[in-house]
Amino acid sequence: MTELVYSNSLMAAEGERAIQKLMDLVNSDEEFILAVEGAIATKNDGLFNIIGRWQGEPLTALKAAKMLGEKAMHIIAVGACATHGGFSAAKPNPSGSVGLQTILPDKKVIKLPGCPTHPDWFLGTLASLLMYGEIELDRRDRPLLFYSTTIHDRCPRRTYFNQGIFAKKLGEKTCLFKLGCRGPVTRTDCPTRQWDGYVNWPIGADTPCIGCAQFGFPDQMSPFISFDTTEES
Amino acid sequence: MQNNRIQMIQFEINYTTNEVNNYMRMLYQVGDIYNKNILLNHLWEKVNYLGYLNQLMTTYIPQSQLPQKPSPTVPNITVPNKTFTKEELAKVTGKNGNPAYIAVNGVVYDVTNNAAWAAATHFGLSAGNDLTQEFKSCHPSGQRILDQLSVVGRLVL
Ligand code: SF4
Repeated sequence: MTELVYSNSLMAAEGERAIQKLMDLVNSDEEFILAVEGAIATKNDGLFNIIGRWQGEPLTALKAAKMLGEKAMHIIAVGACATHGGFSAAKPNPSGSVGLQTILPDKKVIKLPGCPTHPDWFLGTLASLLMYGEIELDRRDRPLLFYSTTIHDRCPRRTYFNQGIFAKKLGEKTCLFKLGCRGPVTRTDCPTRQWDGYVNWPIGADTPCIGCAQFGFPDQMSPFISFDTTEES
Repeated sequence: MQNNRIQMIQFEINYTTNEVNNYMRMLYQVGDIYNKNILLNHLWEKVNYLGYLNQLMTTYIPQSQLPQKPSPTVPNITVPNKTFTKEELAKVTGKNGNPAYIAVNGVVYDVTNNAAWAAATHFGLSAGNDLTQEFKSCHPSGQRILDQLSVVGRLVL
Protein backbone atom coordinates (compact mmCIF):
# COMPACT_ATOMS: atom_id res chain seq x y z
CA MET A 1 0.00 0.00 0.00
CA THR A 2 2.79 2.41 0.86
CA GLU A 3 6.40 2.51 -0.03
CA LEU A 4 8.79 4.37 2.18
CA VAL A 5 11.03 6.00 -0.40
CA TYR A 6 13.28 8.07 1.81
CA SER A 7 13.78 8.28 5.54
CA ASN A 8 17.25 9.15 6.77
CA SER A 9 16.93 6.98 9.85
CA LEU A 10 15.02 3.99 8.47
CA MET A 11 16.40 3.42 4.98
CA ALA A 12 19.27 1.10 4.10
CA ALA A 13 20.94 3.30 1.46
CA GLU A 14 23.48 5.90 2.53
CA GLY A 15 25.14 8.99 1.10
CA GLU A 16 24.51 9.88 -2.52
CA ARG A 17 22.68 6.59 -3.02
CA ALA A 18 20.09 7.70 -0.52
CA ILE A 19 19.75 11.11 -2.14
CA GLN A 20 19.46 9.34 -5.49
CA LYS A 21 16.10 7.97 -4.30
CA LEU A 22 14.83 11.50 -3.74
CA MET A 23 16.07 12.63 -7.14
CA ASP A 24 14.50 9.64 -8.89
CA LEU A 25 11.21 10.43 -7.20
CA VAL A 26 11.26 14.08 -8.24
CA ASN A 27 12.04 13.13 -11.83
CA SER A 28 9.30 10.50 -12.01
CA ASP A 29 5.55 10.98 -12.29
CA GLU A 30 4.88 9.09 -9.09
CA GLU A 31 2.51 10.61 -6.58
CA PHE A 32 4.01 10.95 -3.13
CA ILE A 33 3.42 12.33 0.33
CA LEU A 34 6.14 14.54 1.77
CA ALA A 35 6.61 14.57 5.55
CA VAL A 36 9.25 16.95 6.83
CA GLU A 37 10.89 17.03 10.23
CA GLY A 38 13.05 19.94 11.33
CA ALA A 39 13.12 23.60 10.43
CA ILE A 40 14.41 25.04 7.18
CA ALA A 41 17.48 27.24 7.63
CA THR A 42 17.41 30.18 5.23
CA LYS A 43 20.63 32.13 5.95
CA ASN A 44 23.60 31.62 3.58
CA ASP A 45 21.42 29.92 1.00
CA GLY A 46 20.33 27.36 3.54
CA LEU A 47 23.82 26.09 4.24
CA PHE A 48 23.07 25.81 7.97
CA ASN A 49 21.06 22.67 7.29
CA ILE A 50 22.50 20.15 4.85
CA ILE A 51 20.63 16.88 4.46
CA GLY A 52 23.12 15.12 2.19
CA ARG A 53 25.33 15.53 -0.87
CA TRP A 54 24.35 15.32 -4.49
CA GLN A 55 26.91 15.16 -7.30
CA GLY A 56 29.53 16.32 -4.88
CA GLU A 57 27.59 19.41 -3.84
CA PRO A 58 25.84 19.85 -0.50
CA LEU A 59 22.06 19.50 -0.73
CA THR A 60 20.40 21.95 1.63
CA ALA A 61 17.09 21.36 3.37
CA LEU A 62 15.94 24.61 1.76
CA LYS A 63 16.54 23.32 -1.74
CA ALA A 64 15.20 19.82 -1.06
CA ALA A 65 12.03 21.10 0.62
CA LYS A 66 11.25 23.47 -2.27
CA MET A 67 11.97 20.83 -4.87
CA LEU A 68 9.91 18.09 -3.22
CA GLY A 69 7.23 20.42 -1.87
CA GLU A 70 6.36 21.64 -5.35
CA LYS A 71 5.56 18.13 -6.53
CA ALA A 72 4.15 16.39 -3.45
CA MET A 73 0.50 15.41 -3.33
CA HIS A 74 0.26 16.08 0.39
CA ILE A 75 2.73 17.87 2.62
CA ILE A 76 2.94 17.21 6.34
CA ALA A 77 5.10 19.30 8.67
CA VAL A 78 5.96 17.03 11.58
CA GLY A 79 6.95 18.60 14.88
CA ALA A 80 7.48 22.11 16.20
CA CYS A 81 10.49 22.99 14.02
CA ALA A 82 8.84 21.99 10.75
CA THR A 83 5.50 23.64 11.59
CA HIS A 84 6.69 27.02 12.84
CA GLY A 85 10.44 26.97 13.39
CA GLY A 86 10.37 25.66 16.96
CA PHE A 87 13.67 25.49 18.79
CA SER A 88 15.66 26.07 15.61
CA ALA A 89 13.96 29.45 15.22
CA ALA A 90 14.24 30.42 18.89
CA LYS A 91 15.80 33.81 19.56
CA PRO A 92 18.24 34.95 18.26
CA ASN A 93 17.77 32.41 15.44
CA PRO A 94 21.27 32.67 13.93
CA SER A 95 20.48 30.29 11.06
CA GLY A 96 17.34 32.16 9.98
CA SER A 97 15.27 29.02 10.52
CA VAL A 98 11.62 29.01 9.50
CA GLY A 99 8.78 26.52 9.29
CA LEU A 100 8.00 24.70 6.07
CA GLN A 101 5.01 26.90 5.19
CA THR A 102 7.20 29.98 4.95
CA ILE A 103 9.16 28.56 2.06
CA LEU A 104 6.12 26.91 0.44
CA PRO A 105 3.64 29.77 0.85
CA ASP A 106 1.17 28.58 -1.79
CA LYS A 107 0.97 24.97 -0.68
CA LYS A 108 -1.36 23.32 1.78
CA VAL A 109 0.90 22.21 4.60
CA ILE A 110 -0.73 19.96 7.20
CA LYS A 111 0.77 20.97 10.54
CA LEU A 112 1.47 18.62 13.41
CA PRO A 113 3.03 20.86 16.07
CA GLY A 114 4.53 19.21 19.14
CA CYS A 115 7.99 18.73 20.54
CA PRO A 116 7.92 15.88 19.82
CA THR A 117 4.86 15.06 17.77
CA HIS A 118 2.98 12.10 19.22
CA PRO A 119 3.52 9.04 16.98
CA ASP A 120 -0.26 8.65 16.76
CA TRP A 121 -0.71 12.20 15.49
CA PHE A 122 1.61 11.49 12.59
CA LEU A 123 0.57 7.94 11.80
CA GLY A 124 -3.11 8.85 12.26
CA THR A 125 -2.74 11.72 9.81
CA LEU A 126 -0.90 9.54 7.33
CA ALA A 127 -3.47 6.76 7.66
CA SER A 128 -6.29 9.22 7.12
CA LEU A 129 -4.65 10.56 3.96
CA LEU A 130 -4.11 7.05 2.64
CA MET A 131 -7.63 5.89 3.45
CA TYR A 132 -9.72 8.97 2.71
CA GLY A 133 -7.37 11.17 0.71
CA GLU A 134 -7.83 13.99 3.23
CA ILE A 135 -8.06 14.92 6.89
CA GLU A 136 -10.19 17.60 8.50
CA LEU A 137 -8.09 20.57 9.64
CA ASP A 138 -8.63 23.59 11.86
CA ARG A 139 -7.91 27.18 10.86
CA ARG A 140 -4.21 26.68 11.49
CA ASP A 141 -4.06 23.45 9.46
CA ARG A 142 -3.91 21.10 12.41
CA PRO A 143 -5.93 17.84 12.20
CA LEU A 144 -9.06 18.24 14.30
CA LEU A 145 -8.84 14.57 15.17
CA PHE A 146 -5.94 15.30 17.51
CA TYR A 147 -5.83 19.05 18.12
CA SER A 148 -9.43 20.08 18.70
CA THR A 149 -9.55 20.59 22.48
CA THR A 150 -7.23 22.39 24.87
CA ILE A 151 -5.40 20.35 27.48
CA HIS A 152 -7.12 22.44 30.16
CA ASP A 153 -10.55 21.42 28.75
CA ARG A 154 -9.99 17.77 29.55
CA CYS A 155 -7.40 17.93 32.28
CA PRO A 156 -8.09 15.53 35.16
CA ARG A 157 -6.94 18.32 37.53
CA ARG A 158 -9.48 20.82 36.28
CA THR A 159 -11.53 20.64 39.47
CA TYR A 160 -8.49 21.83 41.42
CA PHE A 161 -8.17 24.76 39.04
CA ASN A 162 -11.83 25.65 39.45
CA GLN A 163 -11.49 25.50 43.24
CA GLY A 164 -8.27 27.53 43.21
CA ILE A 165 -6.14 24.74 44.69
CA PHE A 166 -2.70 25.17 43.19
CA ALA A 167 0.59 23.29 43.50
CA LYS A 168 3.45 25.33 44.96
CA LYS A 169 6.20 23.00 43.85
CA LEU A 170 6.74 20.17 41.42
CA GLY A 171 5.42 16.81 42.50
CA GLU A 172 2.21 18.09 44.06
CA LYS A 173 -0.94 16.40 42.83
CA THR A 174 -3.04 19.53 42.30
CA CYS A 175 -3.42 22.08 39.49
CA LEU A 176 -0.06 23.30 38.16
CA PHE A 177 -1.35 26.68 36.97
CA LYS A 178 0.72 28.83 39.35
CA LEU A 179 3.90 27.06 38.30
CA GLY A 180 3.23 28.13 34.73
CA CYS A 181 1.07 25.39 33.19
CA ARG A 182 0.43 26.06 29.47
CA GLY A 183 -2.43 23.56 29.29
CA PRO A 184 -5.00 26.36 28.91
CA VAL A 185 -3.37 27.66 25.72
CA THR A 186 -2.32 24.36 24.14
CA ARG A 187 -4.52 22.23 21.95
CA THR A 188 -3.82 18.49 21.97
CA ASP A 189 -5.47 15.30 23.17
CA CYS A 190 -2.68 14.53 25.68
CA PRO A 191 -5.06 14.12 28.68
CA THR A 192 -6.75 11.12 27.09
CA ARG A 193 -4.09 9.87 24.69
CA GLN A 194 -1.02 10.13 26.93
CA TRP A 195 2.56 9.26 26.06
CA ASP A 196 5.21 6.56 26.24
CA GLY A 197 2.94 3.71 25.27
CA TYR A 198 -0.12 5.55 26.60
CA VAL A 199 0.89 5.39 30.25
CA ASN A 200 1.52 8.93 31.39
CA TRP A 201 1.97 12.59 30.43
CA PRO A 202 3.58 15.69 31.96
CA ILE A 203 0.67 16.75 34.15
CA GLY A 204 0.20 13.12 35.25
CA ALA A 205 3.84 13.23 36.35
CA ASP A 206 3.14 16.43 38.37
CA THR A 207 5.05 18.84 36.14
CA PRO A 208 3.36 21.68 34.23
CA CYS A 209 2.57 21.48 30.53
CA ILE A 210 5.19 23.56 28.71
CA GLY A 211 3.03 24.15 25.64
CA CYS A 212 5.29 22.18 23.29
CA ALA A 213 2.46 21.78 20.78
CA GLN A 214 1.55 25.47 20.65
CA PHE A 215 2.74 27.73 17.83
CA GLY A 216 5.59 29.92 19.01
CA PHE A 217 7.09 27.26 21.28
CA PRO A 218 9.58 27.58 22.93
CA ASP A 219 10.03 31.38 23.13
CA GLN A 220 6.37 32.25 23.54
CA MET A 221 5.77 29.48 26.05
CA SER A 222 8.60 30.45 28.38
CA PRO A 223 9.19 30.50 31.28
CA PHE A 224 8.56 26.77 31.57
CA ILE A 225 8.44 26.98 35.33
CA SER A 226 8.05 29.81 37.86
CA PHE A 227 8.22 29.70 41.60
CA ASP A 228 8.03 33.41 42.51
CA THR A 229 4.50 33.68 41.35
CA THR A 230 1.17 35.39 41.98
CA GLU A 231 -0.66 35.83 45.25
CA GLU A 232 -2.90 33.20 46.74
CA SER A 233 -6.48 33.65 45.72
CA MET B 1 -42.26 21.04 12.64
CA GLN B 2 -41.12 22.43 15.97
CA ASN B 3 -42.33 19.30 17.74
CA ASN B 4 -40.59 17.10 15.25
CA ARG B 5 -37.31 18.80 15.93
CA ILE B 6 -37.75 18.55 19.65
CA GLN B 7 -38.58 14.87 19.30
CA MET B 8 -35.50 14.30 17.23
CA ILE B 9 -33.33 16.00 19.80
CA GLN B 10 -34.94 13.96 22.56
CA PHE B 11 -34.21 10.83 20.61
CA GLU B 12 -30.58 11.88 20.24
CA ILE B 13 -30.36 12.62 23.97
CA ASN B 14 -31.70 9.18 24.88
CA TYR B 15 -29.45 7.52 22.41
CA THR B 16 -26.38 9.40 23.61
CA THR B 17 -27.21 8.73 27.25
CA ASN B 18 -27.33 5.02 26.48
CA GLU B 19 -23.97 5.29 24.79
CA VAL B 20 -22.53 7.08 27.81
CA ASN B 21 -23.83 4.32 30.09
CA ASN B 22 -22.38 1.73 27.83
CA TYR B 23 -18.96 3.40 27.76
CA MET B 24 -18.96 3.64 31.53
CA ARG B 25 -19.71 -0.07 31.86
CA MET B 26 -16.93 -0.80 29.40
CA LEU B 27 -14.54 1.31 31.47
CA TYR B 28 -15.04 -1.14 34.35
CA GLN B 29 -14.18 -4.03 32.09
CA VAL B 30 -11.09 -2.97 30.16
CA GLY B 31 -7.79 -3.64 31.84
CA ASP B 32 -5.27 -1.87 29.64
CA ILE B 33 -4.58 1.79 29.86
CA TYR B 34 -4.73 2.33 26.09
CA ASN B 35 -8.34 1.28 25.76
CA LYS B 36 -9.18 3.16 28.94
CA ASN B 37 -7.81 6.37 27.44
CA ILE B 38 -9.76 5.86 24.25
CA LEU B 39 -12.97 5.23 26.17
CA LEU B 40 -12.35 8.30 28.27
CA ASN B 41 -11.99 10.36 25.13
CA HIS B 42 -15.25 8.96 23.75
CA LEU B 43 -16.96 9.82 27.01
CA TRP B 44 -15.75 13.41 26.79
CA GLU B 45 -17.07 13.66 23.23
CA LYS B 46 -20.46 12.29 24.24
CA VAL B 47 -20.80 14.56 27.23
CA ASN B 48 -19.90 17.55 25.05
CA TYR B 49 -22.51 16.40 22.57
CA LEU B 50 -25.13 16.22 25.32
CA GLY B 51 -24.27 19.79 26.28
CA TYR B 52 -24.72 20.82 22.66
CA LEU B 53 -28.07 19.04 22.37
CA ASN B 54 -29.22 20.72 25.54
CA GLN B 55 -28.42 24.13 24.07
CA LEU B 56 -30.07 23.25 20.80
CA MET B 57 -33.21 22.24 22.65
CA THR B 58 -33.54 25.60 24.35
CA THR B 59 -33.52 27.32 20.97
CA TYR B 60 -36.62 25.36 19.92
CA ILE B 61 -38.64 25.59 23.11
CA PRO B 62 -40.76 28.75 23.31
CA GLN B 63 -39.41 31.25 25.81
CA SER B 64 -42.54 31.07 27.95
CA GLN B 65 -42.02 27.36 28.63
CA LEU B 66 -38.44 27.67 29.76
CA PRO B 67 -37.77 27.73 33.48
CA GLN B 68 -37.46 31.36 34.52
CA LYS B 69 -33.89 32.36 35.07
CA PRO B 70 -33.18 35.39 37.22
CA SER B 71 -32.70 38.25 34.78
CA PRO B 72 -29.05 38.43 33.87
CA THR B 73 -27.25 40.98 35.94
CA VAL B 74 -25.82 43.73 33.83
CA PRO B 75 -22.06 43.21 33.78
CA ASN B 76 -20.38 45.70 35.99
CA ILE B 77 -18.58 47.85 33.48
CA THR B 78 -18.13 50.82 35.70
CA VAL B 79 -14.42 51.25 36.16
CA PRO B 80 -13.30 51.57 39.77
CA ASN B 81 -11.90 54.96 40.64
CA LYS B 82 -8.42 53.62 41.25
CA THR B 83 -5.78 54.93 38.89
CA PHE B 84 -2.41 53.50 37.99
CA THR B 85 0.61 55.21 36.56
CA LYS B 86 2.92 53.22 34.32
CA GLU B 87 5.33 52.92 37.25
CA GLU B 88 2.64 51.60 39.57
CA LEU B 89 1.49 49.15 36.94
CA ALA B 90 5.05 47.92 36.50
CA LYS B 91 5.00 46.70 40.09
CA VAL B 92 2.01 44.38 39.77
CA THR B 93 3.81 41.77 37.72
CA GLY B 94 2.43 38.68 39.40
CA LYS B 95 5.84 37.93 40.88
CA ASN B 96 6.66 37.40 44.55
CA GLY B 97 3.09 37.24 45.73
CA ASN B 98 1.85 40.31 43.84
CA PRO B 99 -1.28 40.18 41.76
CA ALA B 100 -0.88 40.24 37.97
CA TYR B 101 -2.38 43.29 36.22
CA ILE B 102 -2.24 44.36 32.60
CA ALA B 103 -3.55 47.46 30.82
CA VAL B 104 -5.44 47.52 27.51
CA ASN B 105 -6.92 50.69 26.04
CA GLY B 106 -6.32 52.59 29.26
CA VAL B 107 -8.15 50.09 31.46
CA VAL B 108 -6.29 47.99 34.00
CA TYR B 109 -7.39 44.34 34.24
CA ASP B 110 -6.64 41.61 36.75
CA VAL B 111 -5.27 38.43 35.12
CA THR B 112 -3.96 36.83 38.30
CA ASN B 113 -6.16 33.78 37.99
CA ASN B 114 -6.82 33.89 34.27
CA ALA B 115 -6.15 30.44 32.81
CA ALA B 116 -4.27 31.81 29.80
CA TRP B 117 -1.92 33.75 32.11
CA ALA B 118 -0.14 30.94 33.94
CA ALA B 119 2.80 32.29 35.95
CA ALA B 120 1.69 35.82 34.94
CA THR B 121 2.95 35.32 31.38
CA HIS B 122 1.07 34.88 28.13
CA PHE B 123 2.77 34.03 24.82
CA GLY B 124 5.97 35.76 25.81
CA LEU B 125 4.21 38.81 27.35
CA SER B 126 4.42 39.60 31.05
CA ALA B 127 2.00 41.20 33.45
CA GLY B 128 2.68 44.72 34.70
CA ASN B 129 2.64 46.20 31.20
CA ASP B 130 0.41 48.18 28.89
CA LEU B 131 -0.41 45.60 26.23
CA THR B 132 -2.79 47.63 24.07
CA GLN B 133 -0.79 47.15 20.87
CA GLU B 134 -0.12 43.48 21.47
CA PHE B 135 -3.78 42.84 22.24
CA LYS B 136 -4.87 44.59 19.09
CA SER B 137 -2.51 42.62 16.89
CA CYS B 138 -3.54 39.21 18.27
CA HIS B 139 -7.23 39.67 19.17
CA PRO B 140 -8.48 42.34 16.76
CA SER B 141 -12.14 41.81 17.73
CA GLY B 142 -11.42 40.78 21.25
CA GLN B 143 -13.78 42.90 23.34
CA ARG B 144 -15.46 39.68 24.46
CA ILE B 145 -12.16 38.55 25.97
CA LEU B 146 -11.77 41.83 27.85
CA ASP B 147 -15.35 41.72 29.12
CA GLN B 148 -14.56 38.53 30.99
CA LEU B 149 -11.70 40.05 32.95
CA SER B 150 -12.20 41.95 36.16
CA VAL B 151 -11.43 45.63 35.94
CA VAL B 152 -9.27 47.14 38.66
CA GLY B 153 -8.81 50.71 37.50
CA ARG B 154 -7.54 53.12 34.88
CA LEU B 155 -4.13 53.75 33.49
CA VAL B 156 -3.11 57.40 33.64
CA LEU B 157 -0.32 58.67 31.48
S1 SF4 C 1 -2.83 21.44 35.54
FE1 SF4 C 1 -2.77 22.87 33.77
S2 SF4 C 1 -4.22 22.02 32.27
FE2 SF4 C 1 -4.63 21.01 34.25
S3 SF4 C 1 -6.26 22.28 35.17
FE3 SF4 C 1 -4.32 23.09 35.93
S4 SF4 C 1 -3.81 24.76 34.47
FE4 SF4 C 1 -5.39 23.48 33.49
